[in-house]
Amino acid sequence: MSGPDEGLIASVERSLTKLVDFVRFVGLALRVQFTRVPPRDVFITQFVDAGWGSLALLTMLTAFAGLNLSVQSYASFERFGGQDLLGMFAGVGGVRELYPVMAAVVCGARIGANLAASLANMRISEQIEALEVMAVDPLDYLISPRLWAVTLALPLLCGYADVVGIAASYAGAVYQLDLDAGSFMTQIQEQVGLVDIGAGMLKGLIMGWLVAVIACFHGYSVSKRDGADGVGISTNLAIVHGAVTCIVVNLFLSWLIYG
Amino acid sequence: MLQTIGGLVVFMAQVARATFSRPFYLRQTLDIMAILVQRCIVPVGLAVAPVGAVISLQGIAVFKLFGAERMLSAFLGTAIIREYSPALASVMVAAQAGSSIAARIGTMKVRGQIDALAVMSVDPVRYVVVPGVLACVLVTPLLSVVTNLLGILSGWIFAVPLGGVDHGAFMDNLTAQITPMDLWVGLGKCAVFGLGVGMIAGYLGLNVGRGAADVGKAANDTVVSTIVLILFTDYVVSMALLGAGL
Repeated sequence: MSGPDEGLIASVERSLTKLVDFVRFVGLALRVQFTRVPPRDVFITQFVDAGWGSLALLTMLTAFAGLNLSVQSYASFERFGGQDLLGMFAGVGGVRELYPVMAAVVCGARIGANLAASLANMRISEQIEALEVMAVDPLDYLISPRLWAVTLALPLLCGYADVVGIAASYAGAVYQLDLDAGSFMTQIQEQVGLVDIGAGMLKGLIMGWLVAVIACFHGYSVSKRDGADGVGISTNLAIVHGAVTCIVVNLFLSWLIYG
Repeated sequence: MLQTIGGLVVFMAQVARATFSRPFYLRQTLDIMAILVQRCIVPVGLAVAPVGAVISLQGIAVFKLFGAERMLSAFLGTAIIREYSPALASVMVAAQAGSSIAARIGTMKVRGQIDALAVMSVDPVRYVVVPGVLACVLVTPLLSVVTNLLGILSGWIFAVPLGGVDHGAFMDNLTAQITPMDLWVGLGKCAVFGLGVGMIAGYLGLNVGRGAADVGKAANDTVVSTIVLILFTDYVVSMALLGAGL
């Protein structure tokens, strides 16, 4: 993070260099991701860690988000007497937007922070250089399996979040707000199809890759002289940049898909 | 688990006592506030602005089914001001500020600076934690004012020029449906969430383990546990407000 005393021009220049580095890193990552098969054991470890490891957190968060969606939309709709349409809104708003984005932002924060911290740690303890010395390409061995793992895990998490979220918003609407269960379900069935869930998972795929590549970039590009502080900074940057990217990219994806 | 809860309660009592008794470290608080505003305003703005656009984008389709596009702005306004702007602004404050506050306090603890303060008979909670907590409580609502405007502006862009809703109808419904109460609810939520961010960051920072890796873990845990706390509190508050009819 830039200090408060730094001049504007210097900080713009620094951000631009960083951006160029990032684009270059994306190029390398894409090449290594699609030209060679990633080492299987690393991939599996990372996949389990990203997917299974996020499950408890995601379940808890989507449950609350689903309940929230029902309660809050109820409060807004009540003003113009539209509370009977809650199912439709909870379905559309939740499945198309809220649950996929939340899965990406929250799991992205957790996964991205782990990725960045572990890669940065390897960098400052010279493990990455050690790989190079042993003629193992670190991009191939470290980055590619991580990218694949997160890219493939996040869509599954998004699909799972949809299920938990709908169940929670149903529970909120029917048991807490005393809405009619049948009409709630009918509205969801009418409005939400497999296409929407598929679209959510597609969003998950794209956002998952972005989260992973951003986190890997921040972790991998730590320099040794930053030391332990560098680990903290890169973790923080991975979380913040990942979350902002997910939210912004989601808008453009929704625009493309539904606009 | 019980130990953590007990520790947290004791910690909260310490912070409360230190906040409302002399000496106050006003200078530290203002410094941290300035840094927080500087660092958070861009990520927070970037996170909330697209949400308004998405609400308009999806809302228009739903409202069109009933020919009620003009009501969109009422829904957009309340959703942004009451719900999304506070929740998202606080999540981003947690990600950006909470983690760095936790990391800063954790680093001080690891380096023994916290103990050094205690030796100099400066209460570390008073000197290090309270300014951070106060800064979070004050800065989050400030940021949310900006994000309210940004969210509604981006919602307007997707509703009026791109979605074909009449500008007059949009503005009329916006001003007619949003009450001062909505604004207060939104700002109040922000302050509560900001308090949560500051408290958790302070607690996890002070109770950090031994090494640099533990500092990273404390920063990380701050983000994740604050997000959980924010969503949970949000739900409880929404239920309470719905029950109270506000």
